[in-house]
Amino acid sequence: MLEVAGLSVLYGKHRALDQADLSVGAGEIVVILGANGAGKSSLLRAVAGLLPAAPGAKVMLSGRPLVGLPAHAIVEAGLALVPEGRAIFGDLTVRENLLLGAFARRARGEETRNRARVLALFPRLAERLGQTARTMSGGEQQMVAIGRALMSAPDLLLLDEPSLGLSPLLCSELFRALERIRGDGISVLLVEQNARKSLAVADRGYLIENGRIVGSGRAADLAGDPAVQRAYLGGR
Amino acid sequence: MLLEVTLSGATLGGMYALVALGLTLQYGVARIMNLSYGELLVAAAFAALWFYTGVAVSPLVGLIVVPPLAFALSFGIYRVLLQPLVRRAKTRDALEVDSILATFGLLFVIQGVMLAIFGGAYFSYSFLAVPLQIAGATVAANRLLALVLAVVIGVGLYLGLTRTRIGTAVRAVAVDPVAAELVAIDVRTASALAFALGGALVAASGVLVSMFLTFNANLGVVFTLKALVVVIMGGVGNLLGALIAGLLLGLVENYVAVFVDPGLTLAATYAIFLIVLLVRPQGILGRASR
Ligand SMILES: Nc1ncnc2c1ncn2[C@@H]1O[C@H](COP(=O)(O)OP(=O)(O)OP(=O)(O)O)[C@@H](O)[C@H]1O
Ligand SMILES: [Mg+2]
Repeated sequence: MLEVAGLSVLYGKHRALDQADLSVGAGEIVVILGANGAGKSSLLRAVAGLLPAAPGAKVMLSGRPLVGLPAHAIVEAGLALVPEGRAIFGDLTVRENLLLGAFARRARGEETRNRARVLALFPRLAERLGQTARTMSGGEQQMVAIGRALMSAPDLLLLDEPSLGLSPLLCSELFRALERIRGDGISVLLVEQNARKSLAVADRGYLIENGRIVGSGRAADLAGDPAVQRAYLGGR
Repeated sequence: MLLEVTLSGATLGGMYALVALGLTLQYGVARIMNLSYGELLVAAAFAALWFYTGVAVSPLVGLIVVPPLAFALSFGIYRVLLQPLVRRAKTRDALEVDSILATFGLLFVIQGVMLAIFGGAYFSYSFLAVPLQIAGATVAANRLLALVLAVVIGVGLYLGLTRTRIGTAVRAVAVDPVAAELVAIDVRTASALAFALGGALVAASGVLVSMFLTFNANLGVVFTLKALVVVIMGGVGNLLGALIAGLLLGLVENYVAVFVDPGLTLAATYAIFLIVLLVRPQGILGRASR
């Protein structure tokens, strides 16, 4: 599905991401764990085309090269990003946000079905279609952001810290939603601080430190690894 | 008397509203602060004049022909002159400053060409200059027609921008260009199209204005300033706000000109501008801060 090789991101001289390799298989949920400033957002943003990748990088989505494509073309190729900070259209209504989610040509045919799916996944949105997105609670805004991304009929969904600022209850709901999204045939790559809950739903995980991928493995193994427990699970 | 003044004020207000809508598109979506904006209005007015007096073509036909030309011209100006600025600007604020300088230059170029061709003299032509009786009031048919057409164009554009996906996408670019890219909107192309649409709109206003106002080659700056005033009064980026503020300004100006003193028109403009800004710094329909 997604193959990333030798991906680096530079901010001036600062190397925020250094030769990252990773992959996401079809139907997989993959989580990236790492401390603040490790380079997680830089990785997702570079894959989504919001940041230029340093020369030599290879990013393939279902065999199609993405490096150098503008962000809007990458959405058309089947990759949707829910960025850190959500980036919903605050001045527009929930309905308009979802409508714009399906702006991609690839999404038009499936629009009605995807909309029904999104509203089934987040029933709260169905009640708030006319509300200005900015006036919604943080958790509701996250639903708008994920719903909007799903409206683009992606093959792969990228999420940057989706559980940020959510109550434990809402957080559990969110991870359940991710499993349902995967059930609909969409692969998921997410960056998370909540290692416990994200490893519980993920198939595999990567560990990232100072811009380098320093470990990877099956989610269950990572959750049981003492080093991972010390670093990310606040553990014993 | 009151009805007459109100109707002709509304006509002027309708022009302001249209002009402000176009500027909202150029500034809100493409982030170009276009100081040469009003020049296109005057150029369109001259084009309509030439069509009517030169080749006996009705300004109504001009209204169909001139805006597409202005659209193409604006699109070209954006691609050739402004896109390089967009590419090199690090932030939207930097782009604003650069675009002010570039379009300031453009203002003198377009104005210079018009001055060279037409000189500084005032022009007008007599189209549908017949008085109509409406509920006891007398209005020139050309004014009424201009008002009706302005309403049709303004409402049509408003509906297009709020009720269609493509229009919503244009507004989305104004709200958040990065988020717009994330929903597969090609922001660069959308900006060029919004800029061009703004040009078409101001040209349409120019044709309408020429039907009932006397104009000369120096009038562009006045309309650019009025458009700015209206956009800021309505709330930057707010379409409905621009429509309301435009209408309001036209009415107030006309009331003051007729009932108080024509010399105080400009003073009235800036008085209500200041009052609105004092009472609602974010504009009539704008929101508190972004
Ligand atoms: N626009 C920028 N300019 C310069 N440096 C940046 C920029 N964005 C990020 N960085 C730096 O790059 C590094 C990685 O940042 P990134 O946002 O990818 O981290 P992150 O893993 O997402 O962190 P967090 O968990 O806090 O979101 C950090 O050291 C950060 O300071
Ligand atoms: Mg981050």
